[in-house]
Amino acid sequence: MSIAKLENIHKVYHIGKIDFPALRGISFSVEEGEFLSIAGPSGSGKTTVLNLVGCLDKPSRGNIFLDDKDITALPTSKLADVRRKNIGFVFQTFNLIPVLTAMENVEFPLILEGRHESKERRHLVEEILTEVGLQDFIHRRPNEMSGGQQQRVAVARALVKKPKLILADEPTANLDSVTGEEILQLMLELNQKTSTTFIFSTHDKMVMDFARRIIRLRDGKIESDQKANAQ
Amino acid sequence: MKMLLKLAFRNVFRYRRRTVITFSAISYGLGLMALGICLYNGVNTHAMDSIINNQTAHLKILAPGYFEEKDEVPLEFTIDEPQKIKSLLKENMEIQGIESRILFQASIISGMDELPCLGVAIEPEVDPLVFKIKDSITDGSFLEPSEAGIILGSGLARDLGLQVGDEIVLRMFLSTEDFIWNALDMEITGIAKTENPTVNRMTVFIPLSLAQEALSLDKRITEIAIRIKDKNQLLDVKDSIQRSLAALDTDYEVVSYKEYASDFIELMKMRSRVQVLIPLMMILIASLGIVNTMLMAVLERTREIGMLAAMGMRKMEVMLVFIFEGAIIGLFGSLAACVIGGLGGWYLETKGFRMAFLGKEITDKLLSFLPMEVFYGDLTAGTLLFTLILGTVISILASLYPAYKAVKLDPIQALRHVG
Repeated sequence: MSIAKLENIHKVYHIGKIDFPALRGISFSVEEGEFLSIAGPSGSGKTTVLNLVGCLDKPSRGNIFLDDKDITALPTSKLADVRRKNIGFVFQTFNLIPVLTAMENVEFPLILEGRHESKERRHLVEEILTEVGLQDFIHRRPNEMSGGQQQRVAVARALVKKPKLILADEPTANLDSVTGEEILQLMLELNQKTSTTFIFSTHDKMVMDFARRIIRLRDGKIESDQKANAQ
Repeated sequence: MKMLLKLAFRNVFRYRRRTVITFSAISYGLGLMALGICLYNGVNTHAMDSIINNQTAHLKILAPGYFEEKDEVPLEFTIDEPQKIKSLLKENMEIQGIESRILFQASIISGMDELPCLGVAIEPEVDPLVFKIKDSITDGSFLEPSEAGIILGSGLARDLGLQVGDEIVLRMFLSTEDFIWNALDMEITGIAKTENPTVNRMTVFIPLSLAQEALSLDKRITEIAIRIKDKNQLLDVKDSIQRSLAALDTDYEVVSYKEYASDFIELMKMRSRVQVLIPLMMILIASLGIVNTMLMAVLERTREIGMLAAMGMRKMEVMLVFIFEGAIIGLFGSLAACVIGGLGGWYLETKGFRMAFLGKEITDKLLSFLPMEVFYGDLTAGTLLFTLILGTVISILASLYPAYKAVKLDPIQALRHVG
C-alpha cells in the first residue's frame, strides 16, 4: 500500500515579483516500509518535497495522497492534525526543545497526541530511548548532550508515536561523518525493525549509500528514481 | 495543558536577566500602586476619623441658618431648649453620646501677645462620649464641670509659649461686627495634642456653663453634637433624629460629618482621580516590559515555534505557551508587588508617614487643608488581591500580541530562521 503519493506536483514560490518554480510536475509514490532518499544538489527541490509530504506546505498544482487520502485541499488546522498523528520529523539542526530533558522532549509528541496515560507514555519513552542507546541520558537537557546524542533524541521523538512516516531533512548535515553514519545506521535499523517508512533528503554520497531507493532531483524535476543496494 | 504550563514555566527562566528586569518592573510598579491605594485609603479613613473625633462628631443638630454661616461661628442661631432635645434623643439606642456645645470666636491674651482662636464650650462630663479631646491631653488634666479651667491646643500653647498653670485672658466675642466682647481670666489646666493639626493650632476648650454665662446665652447653645454607635447607620440615624425633631415641632437641622467635611471629601475625590493616573502609567510601563520580553522570546524562538508547528501543535496551544509565560511573570511579579505593598502598607499602618520630612514650609501649607499630621495607611486584603489580579490580567493581555505574532509565523519560514 502506498503511504504517500505525489501526482504531478508543481510548486511555485513568489519571491517579490518573481515567480520561482521549485517543483515542475513530479510524481512518485512511496510504499510502506521504504527507506528512501531524495537526493540532489542545493535548490533542486528536496526540502520542498519533504515539506509537501510533511503537510507543512501546499502544492501550487497537483495532488498529494497520504494513506490514499487526498490531503491537498485540507485546511491548515487539519494538516496540523495529520502531522500530529502520522508524521515524525527529524531536522538538520536537531531542533529539540532546550528547556526540556531528553525524556520530556520525546514525551512531548505523545502528550500532543493525547492518546496515552502518563505511565504508559513514560514506558514508551524509556523504551524508545533505550532503543536509540540513550537510556543513561534521559534526564539530560539538549545542551548537556553531543550533537549525535541530540539527533538520537530527535529520532526517538519522531518515532515514539509510531508514525507511518518519518521525514528527515538532511539529518546528518550537522554531524561529523562517523556520528552521521551511526545515526543513519540507527534509522535503518529502526526502519527494518518497525517497518516505519523513512524519507530523507541529502546531497551526501555516504547518506545515499544507506538508502534502498534514491529519487534524484534536478531543477525541480525527477532526474532518476532507482532502487539501490543497501549497505 | 500541564505540559504547556511546564514548558512556559521553564521558558520563563530561560532568559533570566530579561525575566528579572520585567519581573522587577511589574513588582515595583504594582507595589507602589498598592502602597498608593493603601495610603489613600488610610488618609481617607484617618482624616475622616480625625475630623469626626475632634471637630464634627457624626451628626450635629443646628439651628436653621447656622450651617450656611458655620465658618463665622455665629452666636445668633442658637438652640434654645437643648435639654428637651437631648432627653428625647436619649431613647435612641443607636446613639452613643450627645453633647451640647457652643462654638465662638475668641482670642487669647498672654502678656503682650494676643492670638485669635476658636472657642469651644463643652460639657466635660459627656464630651468623652462624643469626642476624643480627653484622650489627647498631653499635659495637665481634662476639664472638670465645676472648674473654670481652659484647655489649649498644643500648637496654640507653643506659639504663645504657654504651659499648664499659666494665667491667660480669654477674650470672647459676642459680636465681631459690633466688636462686643467679654474677657475671662483663666488658668490653663491642660494642653491637648489631637491628631488634627487645625484643632491643635487654633482651638481652646472651656466648660459650657462658663461660656453660657460669659456670652450671655443663658441656657442656649449653638449645636448638639452626636456620636452614633455604628457609622454605617449614619443616614438611618440621621433620618430618625430628624423625625424626632419634627415631632417636637422644631425646624432644627441635622447635619452629618460628610456635609461638614464636604470640601475635604471633594479634595480627596480629586486626589483619587489624579492618583489613578500614576498607577496607570506604572501599569503601562510594566505591560510594555512584558510585550517587549515576549516579542524578544518569539524572535529568539522562531525556529522552535516552527518545530512545534511541524510536530502538529495547534495554534491555540502555541499561543497558550506564550500567554502562560506572560501570566507566570505577571503572577510572580504581582506576588512580589503584594509583598512590597504588604510590608510598606504594614509600616504605614503602624508607624505612619510623617510629613515633617518635607520641610516646615511645605508641611505648614499641607496642614492648612489636611486634618492630620501623620498619615497612616489602611492596608486591606482587597487592595492586595486587586494588585495580584490586576498584575496577572495585565500581563496576560500584554502577552496576547506576541503570542499572536508567534502563531502567525509560517512553519517553513520559521524552521529556516537563523537565530
